[in-house]
Amino acid sequence: MNALELHDASVTRGGKVIWRDANVNVAPGTVTAVLGPNGAGKSTLLLCALGLVSLSGGSIEVLGDSPRRGSSRVGYMPQSRRDAEQAISGRDYVALGYDGTHYGWRRGGARAKADAVQEALSLTGARAFADRPLRTLSGGQRQRVALAHATVFRPQLLLLDEPLAALDLAAQAEIVDLVNLIRDTTGAAVVVVAHDLNPLSSLVDQVLWIARRQVRSGTPDEVVNESVLSELYGHAVEIVVTPRGRRVIVGLEEEFAHPHPHPHVAGHAHAARDEEAHEHFAEIYGDDS
Amino acid sequence: MSLWFLLSLAFVQHAYYAVTAVSLAAGAVGYFVVLRRQAFAAHAIGHVGFAGAAGAVLLGLSPVVGLLVFCLVAGVLIGLGGATLDDRDAVVGVTLTAALGLGVLFISLYSGYADATYSILFGQILGVTWADVALVALVSLLVLVVVSLIYRPLLFVSVDPSSAVARGLSERGLSLIFLSLLALTTVVAIQIVGVLLVFSLLVAPAAAAEQMTNRPLRAMALAMGIALVSSWLGLFLGVWLGGPVSFWITALAASTYLVARARVAWRERRPAMSVA
Repeated sequence: MNALELHDASVTRGGKVIWRDANVNVAPGTVTAVLGPNGAGKSTLLLCALGLVSLSGGSIEVLGDSPRRGSSRVGYMPQSRRDAEQAISGRDYVALGYDGTHYGWRRGGARAKADAVQEALSLTGARAFADRPLRTLSGGQRQRVALAHATVFRPQLLLLDEPLAALDLAAQAEIVDLVNLIRDTTGAAVVVVAHDLNPLSSLVDQVLWIARRQVRSGTPDEVVNESVLSELYGHAVEIVVTPRGRRVIVGLEEEFAHPHPHPHVAGHAHAARDEEAHEHFAEIYGDDS
Repeated sequence: MSLWFLLSLAFVQHAYYAVTAVSLAAGAVGYFVVLRRQAFAAHAIGHVGFAGAAGAVLLGLSPVVGLLVFCLVAGVLIGLGGATLDDRDAVVGVTLTAALGLGVLFISLYSGYADATYSILFGQILGVTWADVALVALVSLLVLVVVSLIYRPLLFVSVDPSSAVARGLSERGLSLIFLSLLALTTVVAIQIVGVLLVFSLLVAPAAAAEQMTNRPLRAMALAMGIALVSSWLGLFLGVWLGGPVSFWITALAASTYLVARARVAWRERRPAMSVA
């Protein structure tokens, strides 16, 4: 049984086709990265798996069933959260992941709940700052707490929307290691929406690339190559591999408006320093947010 | 007249029962008002209630009837219109001004209105009857029971709406229930401190509590406690020293918030330096 399966799946929202004829299999215990330009429908794919958006055609199965809103087998970490302004502690936030959907008065089980919360916080390395208010945490610390929140009920499918957005390089690497650890420990399948494959490359078993209403899936090598991406984008795309093994994709930027204020030059000659280079790569990799 | 004599008077005792019930409900609901950053909605519902009270008086009904109807309708409108936490300010603002306009119209139509207007705006705590106490106690109890039943889902959807919705909760449904509770609490709080000072029981205690702890249940209990102590002491001071009870209650609640803020500022002085 696959964690996620799409057969000839299409999504239409507001009369507009988001993507169509997607065929995807996500095996248990694997990590799938979802890439593509802004607005291509990457997050929509997660919403379909959560049962929040329905298909206009084809079929989708989540853990062998049709997607059901509120399933306790699917964990989700949305990109836009309000945790940066919250006064409640990380521990209380994680506890909401455990029984936050339960109405009524508590019927015992306080001990089991405290244990589950503590275990989730330990797994994500968030115990040291679990009792501080969320709004005092750094971006990386908040992601750790949010991952504990999304995994405290031990989901078999974990959907992460841009978990690396707005993190510095060191924090990105930590979160990538943590996702790997969660996958290994819980055996959950992980689907990660990202705008840059490079920081995830050590982790990813499968890549889903969404562009121009089409979805391509396969191993990173099968998808992230010049012929597939050129076909997907409808024009010639070049892939340059840096000495450190990073893949820089040249030729995507023409199609989409760039939100960044500074002018962007493909094949930038001064991108020698690591951080600078990374920023640059991230930019051209997928017209990030 | 001795203080004890004053405190034994029936209308003072009624006032004590009423503020006790209202403070507990206002503290509990107020915690979520502060958590959800819905102080503006709380403010608006109170003022909408003013229009309702004015309309009821114009029709020869009890102001409480108008308060109840208008506050509940405003709560539902704000809940429906501003379903997500992000687009509701405009809805609140429009609801608020529309109702205030109605209030102005009602007052202009009813000439002998000054006294009733004054008591709605500033509260009439020393004028509550047994019937008022019973109504206030019943409504407060209802509010507290419902809050305790929806506590965790409401907390979840307030802290992290996207996850909560993905986990099966209804943001709009919970928002509607919450705003109805807020409306009911506002109606009873208006009996005590009036429209203009509803904030003192709804927002100030909860805001102070949020400064003191990051545990939700503890913060809610603290908010209820602060509201209770402010209104008990305020009532006592009003009876003892004179002056409007509403003034004393608001002064005490606001001072608690100031003290809580000052305490946090003082505590965070040194750690802030060592972190850097």
